Amino acid sequence: MTDMTEPRKAFASPVAAFRRNLQRARQGWLHLLLVPVALLWVSPLVWIILTSLKTRTEIFHPEAGVLPAVLRFENYPATLTVAPFGTYLLNSILVTGSIIAAQLVTITLAAYAFARLEFPLKRFFFAIFLLQVMFPIYATFLTNFVTLRDMGLVNTLPALIVPFIASGYGTFMLRQSFRQVPSELSDAARLDGCGHLAILWHVYLPLVKPTLVAFGIISVVVHWNDYMWPLLVTNSDSVRTLPIGLGLLAKADSGADWTRLMAGTMIVIAPLLLFFVIFQRRFVDSFMHTGVK
Amino acid sequence: MTSNPARLRRNEALLAFAMLAPSLLFLALFTYWPIVRSVWFSFHDVLLGDPEIFWLGAENYTRLLEDHLFWKVLGNTAFYTLVTVPVSILIALLLAVALDGKLRGLAIYRSAFFYPVMIPTVAAGMVWVFLYAPGYGPINVALESVGVPQPGWLNNSRWALPAIMVMSVWKLSGYFMLILMAALKLVPSDLHEAARLDGVGGMQRLIHITIPMISPALYFVTIIGVLHSYQVFDYVHVMTQGGPADSTNVLTFYIYQVGFQYQDIGYASTLATTLLLFVLGLIGLIAATLGRRVHYLGER
Repeated sequence: MTDMTEPRKAFASPVAAFRRNLQRARQGWLHLLLVPVALLWVSPLVWIILTSLKTRTEIFHPEAGVLPAVLRFENYPATLTVAPFGTYLLNSILVTGSIIAAQLVTITLAAYAFARLEFPLKRFFFAIFLLQVMFPIYATFLTNFVTLRDMGLVNTLPALIVPFIASGYGTFMLRQSFRQVPSELSDAARLDGCGHLAILWHVYLPLVKPTLVAFGIISVVVHWNDYMWPLLVTNSDSVRTLPIGLGLLAKADSGADWTRLMAGTMIVIAPLLLFFVIFQRRFVDSFMHTGVK
Repeated sequence: MTSNPARLRRNEALLAFAMLAPSLLFLALFTYWPIVRSVWFSFHDVLLGDPEIFWLGAENYTRLLEDHLFWKVLGNTAFYTLVTVPVSILIALLLAVALDGKLRGLAIYRSAFFYPVMIPTVAAGMVWVFLYAPGYGPINVALESVGVPQPGWLNNSRWALPAIMVMSVWKLSGYFMLILMAALKLVPSDLHEAARLDGVGGMQRLIHITIPMISPALYFVTIIGVLHSYQVFDYVHVMTQGGPADSTNVLTFYIYQVGFQYQDIGYASTLATTLLLFVLGLIGLIAATLGRRVHYLGER
């Protein structure tokens, strides 16, 4: 491709130059305002990292300064020995993975029905899905706990999964995307003798991959970090997830050993932050996506 | 393969219900049944783990009206929601406007403001307990170095809730910022250009052009903000357990206390039902006030 803008630049008017300078000045002011705010925002993370590398005595003596005297990494292995973080990690992966896998199946089927099929009471059923988004989990967690207890599922991994399998929010998001697929595509497939399920699989799903990824990322962040529900339904290490393990560590230390606790915090937050750094574009797009229909 | 239209329609409906079935099953079991049961329990005396329940009529509700702690907790919850949601949105809006356009280092700023959203609430809560720690906590050390007395933060019944609120603004603003940034991208730049040429100042443009143009996103963010404000449960559980002197006790945490610590499922269900009404009322109020004023570009 030849650069068409090149000759135009040669004729850049003084007005344009003035504008550019103005722009640059404005940017300078913005940076002056934004840098301190950004530093303030980042400081808790910096504090976690610095503290995880300090010794206990350094914490309680402010005169020791902000930076650790010597970088000490032994807090990390020490944390791993006081609590079974390996089991927590495995449970977190199993629970989050199962939730998202099950959700993708339920929301795909339901969203297709709402987007492309005609059936009686469609609006009523759609309202049932949408209302779920508004209902706070705190209005249901007591009775959900009682239900799971009756089923004998308390303190098992399924208890951490089943309440989240249906997602009104995901169904809504995916339905919007399905509706944007041109109907000529599915009509053509129909004429070729494809049934609805075949059309869904071969035509629709490949076209809405960005929405599936966006929903997947949001869902993973929510369920990976979930604290309240696992707190209620787990009472042994074999089924606890990372956030619960961290909460227990905090309780056990009761503020006495911040270095170990911050190392544990780092271990818990690192996986998602790492993914965020690597797939930043994808994460940002997903969360942005939630606001624009 | 000839079939009449009526039969085709019936087959389509059957397929649709088959496709809805998995979701409906789980919605029924874990969203609607618990709500119905919770309302049912709220008229009964129910103890955790005890299969026998006793009809009380409206007794739990009269108890609620006379429960001083309930009113305190409701006040704390309203204060928390009504301050943190608007403040987070205001900060998010300012950040989004500042980051709109071709700013150098945009990706770095964006990550700096957004990363708290990725952090588990329990981890965030714990770090802030440390930041607020009396004596050696960095916030107090910094305050002391400029001669401001330490307010005691989480140990002081006056400052504990505001301290949690500051943290939750830090945690959520980045999320709202991203949503608003996406909305700002869709505002046609010639509108701003024209206003600027007419000598309209930056603040005026923000109020009269930007805010109306992104009002659907602001409305959406308000609803999301209300729904996210229940996360305060996690913070309270990790940071204060409702104390000191119930100054940080909020409705969600009170439900948990009554249900799981005092094992009084009946009264806890009454509180949960109240929470549901509170939230639906608040969302209805937002929809009736803000929702009506939302301006959709190219629609209506």
